[in-house]
Amino acid sequence: MNVLGIIATAGRLMSEEIVTDSNGDVTTHHWLLPETAEIIYGGLASLIIFYALFKFGGPLVKKSFAARTEKIQKELDAAAADKSAAATEAAGIRAAKGDIAAERARLLSDAETQAAAVLEDGRARLAVEVADVEAKAVTDIASAQGRVGDELRAEIARLSAAAVDHVVTGSLDDATQQELIENFIARVGASA
Amino acid sequence: MSDNPPPPPPRGGAGSGGWSERMSDNRIEGYARGLFEIARAEGTLDEVEDELFRFARSFESSDALRTALSDEQIPPAKRQAIIEDLLGGKATSTTTQLISMVVGSGRTRDLPAIVDLLVARASSAKHQEVAEVRTAVALTADQQTRLAAALVNATGKQVNLKVVVDPSVLGGIVATVGDTVIDGSVRTRIDQLKSRL
Repeated sequence: MNVLGIIATAGRLMSEEIVTDSNGDVTTHHWLLPETAEIIYGGLASLIIFYALFKFGGPLVKKSFAARTEKIQKELDAAAADKSAAATEAAGIRAAKGDIAAERARLLSDAETQAAAVLEDGRARLAVEVADVEAKAVTDIASAQGRVGDELRAEIARLSAAAVDHVVTGSLDDATQQELIENFIARVGASA
Repeated sequence: MSDNPPPPPPRGGAGSGGWSERMSDNRIEGYARGLFEIARAEGTLDEVEDELFRFARSFESSDALRTALSDEQIPPAKRQAIIEDLLGGKATSTTTQLISMVVGSGRTRDLPAIVDLLVARASSAKHQEVAEVRTAVALTADQQTRLAAALVNATGKQVNLKVVVDPSVLGGIVATVGDTVIDGSVRTRIDQLKSRL
């Protein structure tokens, strides 16, 4: 129903008379349609309300829609930014993963190099120590041989000296003493 | 006084120490001079000198004698009595009294040095050099005479022979005339042999 129809209906209704039943009670003129005046007043009120809604609620609705659109756009932008950041981070992680692999390879390589160096150094040091120990053992053996020889010689000398003391002292009887004295006197007297 | 020539320094390098040592040397020299004058005044210088020399050597070689006579805890009178017991009848009274005097004056430790100076002084008075002879057995008078002549012949000096019986010599003779040592002892030969061994 357009506005002109409504107005025309309202005019016709205003011209209608009040219908009563047999009991005198007021009744509608149609079982479904309201009274014409009601249609007019209701239609005008509806127009006024629709207009007011359009006039005052429209901007709010537009604003709300705009805000919602802006919010959605912001969310879309944020999502896009997040997606971009996630992509960047993923790229970084992938790069880091690549770096980790490279670092792991480098560390393994370094470890192998160092292990080889340590092993080589240990072998060299061990060889030197073995040589030193061998040399020291040879020296110790020689020293021990010399020491044992010296001790043996010293012991022989000590025993010999004791034997000499014993033998000489035992052989110094009076005749020998006198002979020694006479020999001394003769030797000193002849040494002018 | 031609009879009192300055004595040579005692054995042990006298005069090389400090004030106290010089003081001790002076006292030793004083005692030696005193004993010398007393023995000479008594007219028994040769005998006393010889006896003192023998006693000094015994004193040096005997730890027991040295300890007994040097012990300050023993009264001087008792130590002098020990000397009387040791020398009584074996030495002249002058010798005994001189040693008692030294011991009584607390100079027992200096007795060998005093006696050495006395002997050196007596030898110098006779224009002789002390010839200390160490043997393992005692020498007969004839051997001493011939040894003295041999030493005179060897050193060119008149010698005052002092014989010390020293068992550590083992055999033979060690003669010391001044700085000259003529060593013909078995002890030295054994030591040389040990050294070579």
